[in-house]
Amino acid sequence: MSTVSTKSQETIKLNFESFIEWDNNPFILFSNEGKIIYLNHAAEILFGYASKEDLYHIALTYAPQNFGHKMTQLTLTYDTFIFFAISVGYENEEQLSLRLYHMPPSKPKLVPKTDNMVMTDINILLEANIALFRTKNTNTLRLLADQDLPPFKIDQNHFSKLLRKALDSFRASDSIDITLKLLIGQHILIDAKKTAIVHLSIKANGRYNDADTLIESLATEAHIKCITTEYAIILEIPFIRNDE
Amino acid sequence: METFFTTSDKIHQIIKSFHLTKTLFVSSVIIGDAHIGKKTLARYLFPDAIMVSGGNQHKVESLLEKDEEIIISDFEKLTNPQALDFTNKRIIATANYVTNPSVVDRLFAFIYTMPSLEERPEDITFLSKKFVKEAQSLLMLKDKHIDIDKIALNLTHNNQSLRQSIYTYLIKQNISIDDIIQMLFEYFYTHYDGKDNYRKHIQIFEKPLIEAGLKKYGSQLKLSHALGINRNTLRKKIHEHRIY
Repeated sequence: MSTVSTKSQETIKLNFESFIEWDNNPFILFSNEGKIIYLNHAAEILFGYASKEDLYHIALTYAPQNFGHKMTQLTLTYDTFIFFAISVGYENEEQLSLRLYHMPPSKPKLVPKTDNMVMTDINILLEANIALFRTKNTNTLRLLADQDLPPFKIDQNHFSKLLRKALDSFRASDSIDITLKLLIGQHILIDAKKTAIVHLSIKANGRYNDADTLIESLATEAHIKCITTEYAIILEIPFIRNDE
Repeated sequence: METFFTTSDKIHQIIKSFHLTKTLFVSSVIIGDAHIGKKTLARYLFPDAIMVSGGNQHKVESLLEKDEEIIISDFEKLTNPQALDFTNKRIIATANYVTNPSVVDRLFAFIYTMPSLEERPEDITFLSKKFVKEAQSLLMLKDKHIDIDKIALNLTHNNQSLRQSIYTYLIKQNISIDDIIQMLFEYFYTHYDGKDNYRKHIQIFEKPLIEAGLKKYGSQLKLSHALGINRNTLRKKIHEHRIY
């Protein structure tokens, strides 16, 4: 609720909450004890990947010295979410707000060449690459894959190379978790068409990052969004089904 | 259909990966020592594929233009592997070693390393039995009992030297005194040269005669009795033939 003074000095009440609620950037209001008083829809999704304590700690660290609001530019990465700035504010002793600003997505200028792409069951490529990985390593490997994922267009050779490199960066990791799923409700625009995304994540307690540049360039060439972190490689693969 | 036997986990994983990618358009290479069964494995997995040697770059290039499934053996012999394009082809290559790792890395999605025979003890037992059977049939020794443990198996050149050592053993087992005389005749006939031939060649007869006797009787005195020659003569001959 906000109180707005008009020219005629009349006071009317307006509800801004829904504008905050449906903003694409996450917004969280903490109490002075670190409890969440309010969070918008985008923040709700973010909490699937970031902890409350972590975000509260960030808010405290970057809070302005005096009452007011302070914007700080920094890079924060949670899974596939990348933020380039945050703003922290408080106007009383009880409430502290944190707003995170999404990094604008880089739009791939090239349209994927579908000539080399063949309808493929991604699970087969993934399992074949795991078998290859197992010829060289004995690490524990858990696979949680959506076996019903329908075939889609993949440059099989190129994608296998990318998978080999990505898995190879986990050659010394203790236990590797691989998940493969179709992202619900998320799309990317390819050639002005809404395309669904297949999410492949490989995570472990640590990994080698010597081939990251190559992995990223292989992914970019295949129009796959690649996020590399200290512990994980996440690939967001366009779910291209036909030539229409 | 040709079968491929192995107890090696690593090779089982390679076979699994190949079975999964059998229908896909990916390029794979099997790297490993000479004569460990790489070509046999490729042939077993892809019985209908055309096989071409890397020693003939021109033929490889022309096949790549019209065929979509090719086995390239001796990949290391290609003069210009960089020039090859494996896009949307099913390529299975075998290589004894890698001359240019970056080219192999760029061309192939699946890079398998096949263990040598020495790393697969159970395969050695299986192959030895197989080669003994094969040699028995070829050399017409089917009824003869062969104790594999007595054969000095040679693994320096994997399957090839293993097979050779078994054949040599079996031939030796079946040799008659007439064969030995015949062989000696051939040898002497081709090696008569210059003067002093008696002294030069007598060791072929005397050395094994004395060595076997020493092993059997354990002492020079007993052996001199068995041979019916003087002890001093025997000692002189032992010294002459450098038997220790």
